[in-house]
Amino acid sequence: MTNTGVNTARPPLGLALRSLLRADFLVLLNGKTSVFLSILLPVVILVANTFGKGQSRLGGSSLVIGLALTLGLLTSGLFGYTLALAHDRDVGVLQRLRVTPAPTWMIMTSRVLVQVATNLVASVIVVIVGALAYGLSLNPGQYLLVIAVSVLGAAAFLAIGQAVVGLVQSTSAINAVTRVLMILLLLLGLLGGTGILGDTMKSIAAWSPVGALMTLFADTLNASSWSGQDTTALLACIGYVAVCATIGVRWFRWNSR
Amino acid sequence: MTSEVSEPGSPSVLEISQLRVAYEGRTVVDGVSFRIQRGEIFGLLGPNGAGKTSTLSAIEGLVRPASGSLLVDGLDVEQQPLAVKALLKVQLQSSSFQDELSIQEIARLYAGLYGVKLSREQVRGNTRPVGLGDELGKKFKQLSGGQQQRLALYIATIHNPLLLLLDEPTAGLDPQSRRGLWRHIEELRAEGNSILLTTHSMEEAQAVCDRVAIIDHGKLLTEGRPSELINKHKDGPRVLSVAHGAPTLEDVFIGLTGSEIRD
Repeated sequence: MTNTGVNTARPPLGLALRSLLRADFLVLLNGKTSVFLSILLPVVILVANTFGKGQSRLGGSSLVIGLALTLGLLTSGLFGYTLALAHDRDVGVLQRLRVTPAPTWMIMTSRVLVQVATNLVASVIVVIVGALAYGLSLNPGQYLLVIAVSVLGAAAFLAIGQAVVGLVQSTSAINAVTRVLMILLLLLGLLGGTGILGDTMKSIAAWSPVGALMTLFADTLNASSWSGQDTTALLACIGYVAVCATIGVRWFRWNSR
Repeated sequence: MTSEVSEPGSPSVLEISQLRVAYEGRTVVDGVSFRIQRGEIFGLLGPNGAGKTSTLSAIEGLVRPASGSLLVDGLDVEQQPLAVKALLKVQLQSSSFQDELSIQEIARLYAGLYGVKLSREQVRGNTRPVGLGDELGKKFKQLSGGQQQRLALYIATIHNPLLLLLDEPTAGLDPQSRRGLWRHIEELRAEGNSILLTTHSMEEAQAVCDRVAIIDHGKLLTEGRPSELINKHKDGPRVLSVAHGAPTLEDVFIGLTGSEIRD
């Protein structure tokens, strides 16, 4: 049943990485939750907003598409990635992988890469659906910018999720924290950004992950020239990636016990 | 305590010397030393919380020893962790595979991590002896407890490791599955693999282990062949007080570690 002769050679890293990527992709695909959160939920928002006056209240088609893209990244990053990671840590999947010759950085990188790649595909689909639904005509440069902003957004929400898993050990507590965090981030980005809650909240919203991403997506889709608001949004996103990823890696534990 | 080498002159696959493991200042493994030879099945026995899993965790590189040395085939576990992991395969007590992956996908993942490429037909052929050859498309979460254990043992031997670490491999299995696993463990030994297993079952230790060590409160209490341990300790007053008839390995175990129930 086993190969003949005891194997003492160190396995090639390329094969290990390919195997991890393939398995993580299959887990994501078989699980369906992440695909639903990344693609179906934003598409539902887009289609729902074509009915009635919701679109004008949210500030035009580019903002609605931006919101849909941001929501897809937020839910798949915070719910999909974070809860899957917490669950796998809880039941010992990570420990089992950790005792293999694959370096620990490779195990985590594979998960992040698969998640980001899924987010990218989802973002492109959402933009195409959005452009069709709202009659927008986007040039290839805008599609490329949407992809670039999606990478940044995915990285920001994955980093926030990683920080949550790093700081909180219990899976049920992580579940609760991510739900509350998602509601807070959405409310801050959406309501704060409209100015309903005052100028201070509007400024805070511009620096929030949802607010910053919606700004970048909207300006990309509108083909607006680069503004100070875009610089703020870009710096905010980079800041979230740097700070949260550092926290998430520094305090991450492979075992919840 | 250091064991006598069962085959003088033969190389040690695992050599542990004065291992000490501590968690937050509390010592859980205290000066443990033993060796395992190539092709040997070594059982580490002890009550709950005795230090068995912590010893295994140190060998696996999951915890950093406070002191002592751990050599696998002459390689230092701390200094060459990835090279050591390539020689080992571990079946952890509290670990799992990804729920959403099928047997086929799990086999290909772990084969790849150990540098082995497997076709679908190879996986089918290799899993047939453990009764999983016709279940390749089943997801891990759909498998019964016994099937999950058998899959874990198959995965543990997928790259024919030098040293196999099995943490309570037959816990929760019915007698048929347990016997099947014992048979498989013996086949692995016949192929030249060395095996370190922890178990609460004295029957299992007597049935499959060449040598056993009893550990409690982090210290190694005794070590030797099961029959040697019985002979060595059979006249001890605590062993005699718990024995019903001729002392068994379980009587020796309880005599040395006490009768109180551990959490």
